[in-house]
Amino acid sequence: MKQGFRQSMAWLHTWAGLVTGWVMFAVFVTGTATYYKSDISLWMRPELRAQSEYDVVRAAELGVAHLKAHAPKAMAWFVGVPQPDKPYIGAYWMVTPDGEFGKALLDPETGAPTEARATQGGDFFYRFHYELQMPPALGRWIVGICAMVLLVALISGIVTHRRIFADFFTFRRSRSAQRGWLDAHNVTGVLALPFHLMITYTGIVSLALMYMPWGMVSVYKGDELRFYVESGQMPAWRVAEGKPAEPAPLGPLIRRAQAEVSEPLEMVSINNPGDANATVVAVFEEPHGLAHRHPQIAFHAVTGELVERTGPLKPAAHAYTSFVGLHEAHFAGPALRILFFLSGLMGCAAIATGLVLWTVARAPKGVVRPAPGWRVVHALNIGTILGLPIGMAALFLANRLVPVEWAARESWEGGMFFGSWFIAALIPLARPHRRAWGEMSYAAALLFLAIPLVDWAQTGWRADFLGFNLTMVALALVFLFGARKLGRQQGAQIEAARTTGDLVRA
Amino acid sequence: MTPVAVSLTSLLSFSGLACLCLSMDRHGRTLFHGRPSRGRDGAFRVAGWLFIALAFAAAVATADWNFGPVQWLGSLTGAALIVVALMSYRPVWIRPAAIAALPLALATAFFV
Amino acid sequence: MTDSTKPNARRSQGRYRLMVAGRTLLAVFGGYALAAIATAFLSLTLPLDRSEAVAAATLASFAIMAGAVIWVFSARTLARAAIGLALPALCLGAGLWLALGSAVQPA
Repeated sequence: MKQGFRQSMAWLHTWAGLVTGWVMFAVFVTGTATYYKSDISLWMRPELRAQSEYDVVRAAELGVAHLKAHAPKAMAWFVGVPQPDKPYIGAYWMVTPDGEFGKALLDPETGAPTEARATQGGDFFYRFHYELQMPPALGRWIVGICAMVLLVALISGIVTHRRIFADFFTFRRSRSAQRGWLDAHNVTGVLALPFHLMITYTGIVSLALMYMPWGMVSVYKGDELRFYVESGQMPAWRVAEGKPAEPAPLGPLIRRAQAEVSEPLEMVSINNPGDANATVVAVFEEPHGLAHRHPQIAFHAVTGELVERTGPLKPAAHAYTSFVGLHEAHFAGPALRILFFLSGLMGCAAIATGLVLWTVARAPKGVVRPAPGWRVVHALNIGTILGLPIGMAALFLANRLVPVEWAARESWEGGMFFGSWFIAALIPLARPHRRAWGEMSYAAALLFLAIPLVDWAQTGWRADFLGFNLTMVALALVFLFGARKLGRQQGAQIEAARTTGDLVRA
Repeated sequence: MTPVAVSLTSLLSFSGLACLCLSMDRHGRTLFHGRPSRGRDGAFRVAGWLFIALAFAAAVATADWNFGPVQWLGSLTGAALIVVALMSYRPVWIRPAAIAALPLALATAFFV
Repeated sequence: MTDSTKPNARRSQGRYRLMVAGRTLLAVFGGYALAAIATAFLSLTLPLDRSEAVAAATLASFAIMAGAVIWVFSARTLARAAIGLALPALCLGAGLWLALGSAVQPA
């Protein structure tokens, strides 16, 4: 490519980072938010009050009763039992094997649909994180390809950055703008490098069998489901007999499963419900450990006979599920979660500073008009780095302001997210490029500041929302601080441009 | 996995990284006016790696081999961020902070 | 960049762009093909239970692809890069063919 290994890696790092930076920034921001998915979901459904304990067996029975009445023809039912951070019964049903799902949220006490407003809650960001809210296959491939390019960018970045240890603590904010951005990019990239490598690789691995199915395909030849069974991740799918039969009572089966497993029950699924060969599977929470593994016990739904229990994982499967587990960090308690969140933010910052650095290093000097390509990158940078947070703030505001009784309320929330993001991405195109950063940053700060105020006006004071609302205020302060910084820096630039312009004219 | 265990690892990591930072020419010079001294740099370097190793031991002791390394790496990242922030905004605080973190770590060790 | 109006410079810039496009295509498709063949080969031949072999090979596949991409962009010429991918791919492909054959007709 270029002369020398390091130069070619520097080239690769620059361009690989630029072409995927915008998508990966959005993926990192929404992924980082997903560490607090259940807190976001609780805030977005203020009608629901969390309890500390639930009768999960009764909840499972209520969920199944609802599904029996509303989705009798489904291939499979899934009932997520209520938990302190998920105060509802989640009743889901699968219509076709390729993933057409129905869902209903039910009250843990009565089993009737909850009063909660229609919203995706924290799942909105979660789904965006790996599907960009696109059709699943398309979105997952785009995210996967970009993540692969990011992995290459990380490796080439390590090669490029020759003074990793000498510059480890170096952040020279007093020097030139370009130096400051480079140091910020290096510091955020290097200090959280183990996290960046881990999260990128494990993220790809989370959907590995979609991206790289060829090992599974060549070994299992058309019976790919068998892989999950043999590797101990799920019990075998038992084929329907085609004859209806009355199932055994559910409660005793669940209690038998609970007696075997020390973890709390998470979900009950019923495959081929109503069939003579139906299966009840009790799914439990992850045991203490890194692996993303849920112990499962399967019963014959009619006879009540125990047909299968997933055993301990073998080494490679354990490594595989640990990769996924590390990515999701379900194991992390509050303190470790903060560190994951912080590392995620540093990932966002590393990508953002990298994108900004590209434009700063190529910024037009003095009165020269910027090249069209530069303007596009500059506008996309603002549109992504500030546009996405603006969209997220708009989503939270929409959650409180869109009337609860509106039809297709969920879509309105999503529409507000994408609509505001789109507008926020267009405005910088119409503004002088030196002012756009500061202005949009103020806009983001105002929106985030509005969230707790609107929340108090709409739902009143809630102690359990204090954490969420304080986080919004903190984000607002970050954007306010950023706006002031950028305004000062740009003021200096405009001043410099004016004087050099005067010199040119003189 | 408790917040106390994470604080313990983080405090030790912070002291360790702060020592390593002070052992480096560029950063040490801004704080210790005057000529760099080989002996002082070496002492800081040894202390730095020692505290980082202690942080690793504390992480593995409190969160076993499964989570220990994760907790250690996470706290190193968080601590390094604080060192960098102090270094560029309040460099004179870094030495007292690194010293203060040690008795704090000792105190938290009793609550694990 | 400044003298891109000169025909010589324009031609060399065109060549440069073509080379970037070639390497990108080679990295994306060649890298993926090599990783895919390696994954299939390892899944069939690693001396482990078959589910274990699939899990281990699939885990490693993205490191293989990343290595291939780095190779393509660091090789001195496009031809060298292509040969460097094609040789291991051919060897692994031949091994895969044999492994698939022996899997179909157990001796």
